[in-house]
Amino acid sequence: MSLGATKYIGARIARREDVRFLTGRTRYVDDIRLPRIVHAAFVRSPYAHAEVRSILTDRAATHEGVVASLTGEEAVRLTRPIRGDSEWPGWKGTDFPVLAWPRVHFVGQAVAVVAAVDRYVAEDAAELVEVEYRPLPVVVDPEAAAEPGGPLVHEDWGDNLFLDRRGTFGDVDGAFAQADLVWSRTYRTHRHTGFPMEGRACIADFDPAVGVLTLYSATQMPHLLRTGLADTLGLGEHDIRVIAPDVGGGFGIKSHLFPEEVAVCLLSMRLGRPVKWIEDTAEHLAASIHAREHVHRVQVAVKRDGAILGIKADVLVDAGAYSVWPWTAAMEVGMAVNMIPGPYRIGAYEFRARTVATNKCPLGPYRGVARSSAAFTIERAMDEVARELGLDPVAIRLKNYVPDDAYPYTSVTGFIYDNASLQGSLRKLTEVIGYDDFRREQATARAQGRYLGLGIGTFIEQTAHGTSEFVRRRNPIVFGYDTVSVSLDPSGKVTVASGLHSHGQGHETTLAQVVAERLGVPLADVRVRFGDTESSPYGLGTFASRSAVYGGGAAWKAADKVRHNLLAMAAHMMEANPDDLEIAEGVIRVKGSPQSRMTVAEVARLAYHRPERLPPGLMPADLTTTQNYDAAPGTGTWANAAHAAIVDVDIATGFVRILRYVVVEDCGAMINPLIVDGQVHGGAVQGIGGAMMEHLVYDENGQLLSQTLMEYLLPSALDVPTIEVHHLQTPSAFTLGGFKGMGEGGAIAPLPALANAVSDALAPLGIAIDALPLSPERIRRLIEGREAEAQR
Amino acid sequence: MPQQLAIRLTINGQPFEGAVSPRLLLSDFLREHVGLSGVRVCCEQGICGACTILVDGQTARACLMLAVQADGTDILTVEGLAQHGTLHPLQQAFWDHHGLQCGYCTPGMLITAYELLTRNPTPSETEVRQAIAGNICRCTGYVHIVTSIQAAAQAMRSGGAS
Repeated sequence: MSLGATKYIGARIARREDVRFLTGRTRYVDDIRLPRIVHAAFVRSPYAHAEVRSILTDRAATHEGVVASLTGEEAVRLTRPIRGDSEWPGWKGTDFPVLAWPRVHFVGQAVAVVAAVDRYVAEDAAELVEVEYRPLPVVVDPEAAAEPGGPLVHEDWGDNLFLDRRGTFGDVDGAFAQADLVWSRTYRTHRHTGFPMEGRACIADFDPAVGVLTLYSATQMPHLLRTGLADTLGLGEHDIRVIAPDVGGGFGIKSHLFPEEVAVCLLSMRLGRPVKWIEDTAEHLAASIHAREHVHRVQVAVKRDGAILGIKADVLVDAGAYSVWPWTAAMEVGMAVNMIPGPYRIGAYEFRARTVATNKCPLGPYRGVARSSAAFTIERAMDEVARELGLDPVAIRLKNYVPDDAYPYTSVTGFIYDNASLQGSLRKLTEVIGYDDFRREQATARAQGRYLGLGIGTFIEQTAHGTSEFVRRRNPIVFGYDTVSVSLDPSGKVTVASGLHSHGQGHETTLAQVVAERLGVPLADVRVRFGDTESSPYGLGTFASRSAVYGGGAAWKAADKVRHNLLAMAAHMMEANPDDLEIAEGVIRVKGSPQSRMTVAEVARLAYHRPERLPPGLMPADLTTTQNYDAAPGTGTWANAAHAAIVDVDIATGFVRILRYVVVEDCGAMINPLIVDGQVHGGAVQGIGGAMMEHLVYDENGQLLSQTLMEYLLPSALDVPTIEVHHLQTPSAFTLGGFKGMGEGGAIAPLPALANAVSDALAPLGIAIDALPLSPERIRRLIEGREAEAQR
Repeated sequence: MPQQLAIRLTINGQPFEGAVSPRLLLSDFLREHVGLSGVRVCCEQGICGACTILVDGQTARACLMLAVQADGTDILTVEGLAQHGTLHPLQQAFWDHHGLQCGYCTPGMLITAYELLTRNPTPSETEVRQAIAGNICRCTGYVHIVTSIQAAAQAMRSGGAS
């Protein structure tokens, strides 16, 4: 639906939450001060796979300042393991223990924890814990892990497959029989991660006098975390309060129930005092959440004119040692196989989807979940097919896209695309970047021995995945709604409470924009709260590009309901018909007679303190409402974007410099374009980091070689250009306000755009990229390979 | 308990005396002993720049210094930027131009930008990017940070603010 004239929705409004961040008055977990607090430090496995034969804590326990310790052997008796189980047939799940026992399954897995008066002492004491391990054979390479006969991660499985399923859509054999060209290639994306600047952090504070456990946690999903803690600890949710205060970034990494958090809760319950854990960078890199390790073997059936007839994809995802809650190890591969056809009209499709277990850190959602890898595959394939057929990469995309006037469109795998602007976005992109001019510039540069390249990456992205989508995914939890309360108080001011959580997204501004708009009050009169399960309605949290749609929609519904009741009250007080009233900026007027007016504050005050003035059937509680929004039909709403990168490759060093990076994106109606721009910039630079430099490297023993920021490289301001962003707006046909999700999109297309740009630059050398990252080492290796071939 | 060493320094214009253990990091001292939780700690290895403060007018990583090394110094943290309830032009510009998202890198970024504008009131985009290259931001992609710093430079030139 489209919006008419608006005051707040769609406005570039500076964020209302910023002052505390700018002045150092924030309240992240580590800033919270509680009396008698002690600090936890974990003992972590140096082995990727081993039997834990014994853990001796005597020396640690008697170290001065140590107050408690806990081992895996004890923790398994006190808790249920974390289980993220898919409902797909043939699924094999894992018991993810709070502390490893009797085996460790990846380097960095926690086996014991100590608590002491400060972090320095706790870390000293953790080193005094003596653990005896018996190393076992390790499984590191996902392709080897998928083959029978090798070592097993979980012996009772019989193989290393969490899941192996297949799907066929349309006449695949017919499509391949008619093809003029069958393009076959294996594309690989590598392990990297979100690395929020604030790592994982929590304080557990169990009060034995009232029997309530409070967990302050840097989480994206406070209510779900409460549910997960209750399940694991065997408590009722009414005995648990989760507070997610200011959180320093999440990107999906903080949308999990982590074993360490449960262990810290156990320590606090044992001690009856608060226990804090602030992880360090090595812990974060080794043992939080990794992402994006995929192998895609694809075959593409194409006609000579570039029409894609069908695709076969054999997709393998390395999910590490355990299935995570609440996502499961099935999610990533499921999204990958569904999104490889992506924005293209493809009539026939066949996939095999396998998730393998290895002795590595568990895989979980990271901004762009699986779609970055799927887009890498299909967008690299489009470029390579175009090159093979002598077609232009832009032309082959425009030929195969779902046309802008063909929506709603049902994809080959059964997704319903509500609407999108694939053709319009790519045309705009080619204009903005000066596509034709670049080809001339490139030819001149080549003549001078410079290797310039231009690459395009495009996608259509399911956002705000709803009920029917998660049912179809066979996820144990169906993230099909979210919740917002709107409450008008006696002073006429508005409090909005939400089950979402903002950790950079700016919900204190955007939800207020929606409520102020719909309710008809000044923005300054609206305050947004979230992050405390005691004061926010049960909701699922912020992830999966869902908050603008679900939070915006629930806020819209709740504000409309309060406005309806408020106007009914005002009409009674003003002896007018509610339909004759209008409300704007906190003032209610009778249409056509502007002198007949009441302020929202006057009506609210009377409603609470002079109930005799209320109409029959309405009470003060009618100025508060809690609404769910499910974004029917629950199939998600589809955003799209086209990215282009221009690169300059130094063939002597293998170093890739990004000269320009342009994004044309379409996320429907925007609540706040300033915030949308910021999200696109940030997503794109994370995607660039993943494409170019971020890499979690394991050796053949399963040892993680990138455990500090010296090895795990994050993009700095000098590594990236200014991200240029342009918008098209195709309001969703499905959602309230026409909003679409957009938090993740920026991170999806940089992988293919940069790989296509580097391949374009190095085409004269016969080099085509099929794996990431685009590190100088990889580029040089490819160039040296070509040089060696040439000499033979 | 290890031996405690007395230190005396100036923090955000105020004198401060304390007794610290020799191994206490300056970042922990400022956060835990002084209560300046705007000093943010991330990588603890001097790479990410989140804990950047000014020590005697020069940027330093608070996570790479011991508290005892700060004896006798003059320190500025993000809490010292706003004066009499008025935001520093850098803070105002970051607010106006959406120069922050999760806020975790913001204090270090502001201090680095403060040092830059102290020595170069008219930085080019490249000079801004060079100056902040040691401060990692994971949210903004740096675009709005660069805009904010250049806008602050402009405001400080026209407004004569310090």
